[in-house]
Amino acid sequence: MAIKNYDELNLLELDTLREIGSVGTGNAATALSQMLGQQVRITLPEVRIMGYNEAIEWIGGPEEITAGVLVKLSGQLSGIMLSVQPLEFVNIVLESIMGRRIGGYEELSELENSALIEVGNIMISTFINALSGLAGMDVNLTVPAFTVDMQGAILAVPMAEYGGQSDYIMTIGSNFVCDNRQVPCRLLMSPDLRSLNALLRKLGVSDE
Amino acid sequence: MSEKLIIGIADMKMAKGEGMLVTYALGSCIGICLHDPALKLGALVHIMLPLNMETGRKNPMKYADTGIRETLKQMEAKGASRSRITAKIAGGAMMFKDGGSGSLGNIGQRNIESVKLNLKKEGIRLLKEDVGGAVARTLLFDVNSGLGCIRCYGRKELII
Repeated sequence: MAIKNYDELNLLELDTLREIGSVGTGNAATALSQMLGQQVRITLPEVRIMGYNEAIEWIGGPEEITAGVLVKLSGQLSGIMLSVQPLEFVNIVLESIMGRRIGGYEELSELENSALIEVGNIMISTFINALSGLAGMDVNLTVPAFTVDMQGAILAVPMAEYGGQSDYIMTIGSNFVCDNRQVPCRLLMSPDLRSLNALLRKLGVSDE
Repeated sequence: MSEKLIIGIADMKMAKGEGMLVTYALGSCIGICLHDPALKLGALVHIMLPLNMETGRKNPMKYADTGIRETLKQMEAKGASRSRITAKIAGGAMMFKDGGSGSLGNIGQRNIESVKLNLKKEGIRLLKEDVGGAVARTLLFDVNSGLGCIRCYGRKELII
């Protein structure tokens, strides 16, 4: 039976999504590791179904400034993927690619912005490639969009996009560990409900 | 120091006499401050989408149309008069302006239009606004003075 809201997912379905998150972020971590030239590991991927305000608390409060790379998915699977990059992660990327650190986002140059967008874009694309291979679904990606602003407002983008369908936001993703430091760079996928049903059917776990 | 009330997404709170109503990180969402100066009664609604088309209608404050209507109803229940109530709004930004967001549709712009239309429909005068653009806004609303203060990243504080 197709679900009508994110909180109707059963344990098997959640496990399947966690597995997708694991394969997706695993691949993204490999790509990141190649870009940075250092070891990158991932924490245990999570599937979270949260109310709006809960989600904003979970990501670390509304007013914290972060960089966000957003890619929209369409085709057989539609949804939004976000790479949320806190300052600590930005510095790891800049250090290994550009050889410098910054004290705040306002110091970012055009070129450094592009580097962050590209890193986000490559991680997102690798994640989706793995997913589309696994499920046998064709997924198209838009050109990445980039912003530096309050993370509450960044997270509100997928919420508003699917707000008409649900009072919850669903995210699949995990944190990265670089250099033995846990870095809260989050790679998050929020599928729309119809696509979520299609995905579960493709993977053979939808009980219909 | 007056009491500070925090309003989440798709939420509304009211205060009378004294109090600061705060809502954080408005992106494409809009914060609507409604104020009856005679009673010093103020309400702040944080809406996310322009139109309520849900069948269940569990959460009226998520939408501009039902959010404004419901808030006015609750203000009137506390003795506010519609002829005195004025509005100030902030938000409706487009967080990702380039690239991929072209296909996202501009929810912020649709929110602005719907909020203005619904205020007009209800006969509420819109005094001040700080909408659009590509910045997130934190909105603080002092119910005693009816003044709003907007905090942004990389911009000076603005009083509305």
